[in-house]
Amino acid sequence: MNDRSASQPPDQNAPFRRLHPLSIVLRSIGTLGQNLFAIVVLHFSLLDRNFLHSGLAAAALIALVIGVTALIWSRFTYQVTAREIRIKSGLLNRNNRSIPFDRIQDVSLEQKLVSRLLGLATVTLETGSGGGEDGQLDALSRTDAEMLRDTVRDYKAGLDADFAPDQDQLAREDRPPLFAMDNRRILIAGLFNFSFVLLAILGAVAQNLDFLLPDDYFDPRYWLTVLPEREMIDGYSFWMRIAGALGAILALVTVGLVSGIVRTLIREYSFRLDKVESGQPGFRRRRGLFTLTDMVMPMHRIQAAVVQTGPVREYYGWYHLKFLSLAGDSGGETDHSAAPCATLAEIDPILEHCAIHRTASDLAFHPVSPAFWWRSAIIVTLLLAAGALGTGFYLHRGFFALILLALPIGGYLFLNWRHHQYALTDSQLFVRSGWWRRRLVMLPRRKIQTVEVSQSPLDHPFALATVTIGIAGGAAARPLRIKDIALDRAMDLRRALVNSQNRP
Amino acid sequence: MVIRSLFLLALGLAAEIALLVQLGTSPGVILVPVALLALVQVLVLPGRIYRRWGYDMGDEQLRVLRGFLWRTDTIVPFNRIQHIDVAQGPLQRMFGLSTLIVHTAGTHNSIVTLPGLATADAEAMRETIKGHIRQDMI
Repeated sequence: MNDRSASQPPDQNAPFRRLHPLSIVLRSIGTLGQNLFAIVVLHFSLLDRNFLHSGLAAAALIALVIGVTALIWSRFTYQVTAREIRIKSGLLNRNNRSIPFDRIQDVSLEQKLVSRLLGLATVTLETGSGGGEDGQLDALSRTDAEMLRDTVRDYKAGLDADFAPDQDQLAREDRPPLFAMDNRRILIAGLFNFSFVLLAILGAVAQNLDFLLPDDYFDPRYWLTVLPEREMIDGYSFWMRIAGALGAILALVTVGLVSGIVRTLIREYSFRLDKVESGQPGFRRRRGLFTLTDMVMPMHRIQAAVVQTGPVREYYGWYHLKFLSLAGDSGGETDHSAAPCATLAEIDPILEHCAIHRTASDLAFHPVSPAFWWRSAIIVTLLLAAGALGTGFYLHRGFFALILLALPIGGYLFLNWRHHQYALTDSQLFVRSGWWRRRLVMLPRRKIQTVEVSQSPLDHPFALATVTIGIAGGAAARPLRIKDIALDRAMDLRRALVNSQNRP
Repeated sequence: MVIRSLFLLALGLAAEIALLVQLGTSPGVILVPVALLALVQVLVLPGRIYRRWGYDMGDEQLRVLRGFLWRTDTIVPFNRIQHIDVAQGPLQRMFGLSTLIVHTAGTHNSIVTLPGLATADAEAMRETIKGHIRQDMI
């Protein structure tokens, strides 16, 4: 893979460049925003609400912040050579980092609201080396950022980075996207993105503003004493109270729906997925309402595809397509979202481009052992029974009803078992899991890193085993697992998986 | 294991004294079972666990077996290994032993360790694996 560098003179004396000067402003605003609060606090406490003193302090702070930011800026240089990018940074501790283009997993451009106004973009180079920031250039002008991205992209194809293929770029803009979401689709995605985050925020606000509320507002005992005294509530009929309770539930659901839609809108606004033709083939994704992100991931870095859905979503035919790669998505997600709300007919062409195939309809999935659900169900029932007996005898007889919880939990486990299946084809492994959060992982067999067969003490009597497959990507806490299959089948499966990928 | 047993014994002793002072239970009500458990941990389990420890260098892959109650059996194909360490702790150095550590790119099982190899063996294995590592498998 390094033949190219031999044929081309290594561009060692490319100029060292600085970030865009406006990035000083950008950084300063960020830092000031955090410290402004301190000034406000000082204004009220130490400076006796004297506006002159506070103003002086604020001016000093602004000068200090801008000065330090400018100093850091002046000591931050980067160099783009033919094979790698070098970043020198640090005031006292100088750091000299070099990132070979070979190791870059994906390049993303991000524009927050202020950066958009200033025409800047932050370039993030992901190498997948565990730590969060591998190479971040915060910030370059938009054109410089795009040029850098194209340099990395074109590196492997042997294109010269100097002539930016402008016509090419324009031609691609006109081509229809692989997948795009209009506002109606975003609304649908938002409906399924039901969340109580807004409610939690409201709760937090209420907590912090609790000096406005009566002292015991969050104390249930306060309400127990107050409520019965209210003639108003006692006066209502039985049905009115039911209506009140329903209204409260409806309000909760509305809050959940609205917050889901708003969150989805902010993140996925004008979602667009394109195919990158020039240079390394790959995908390019643009999205965002306030913060625009523009990410390019090379096709060969994609380790596996995941299709997620839920019972209701599946009924209406909506699926969420994600790609696993070593680099994580922005905002702490470990998977790259490629189509947040799409029909299967829309997902197929996307998968077609990265040589991952969805299951043929006649492909027979193998179920896992029924012990998957009944063993857990028995354990849960025993625990619940112990809890119910303990609390029932010592606290209140009503607690005996705790045992009834075993039924829904058992049912849920049973449904989960029904939805945990796997299938193996010549080139891919399919693993399906979860009833409520349905996940179908499609893993090309040559992307498998390690295969582990493990048995817990509870597995030995039933000769069961769990197969865990190591992939270069995805969350470490939630690896790809086929749980509770017979030990000999696990061994056979592993043999097949390991053999298939030893062939180059 | 010895260290874990000592820790368990200390915990048991603390609980024993606490109960003795607070409730006036008869001596040994906790300490005896705990001591038995510790004895099992020291005498029985290490042998079992040692017997389950195993490895197999195939032509193309390394297989590592471990664990007595919680058993795992891992296969790492050589061409998926990113880099290899041979490490030695002070106790291991006394007995001329080494630990072979292979790193893969996977997020699960990214580090597979194989302790208690004779140093010469570990180094030979490292050389074998090194020959199989190819560039840029991910």
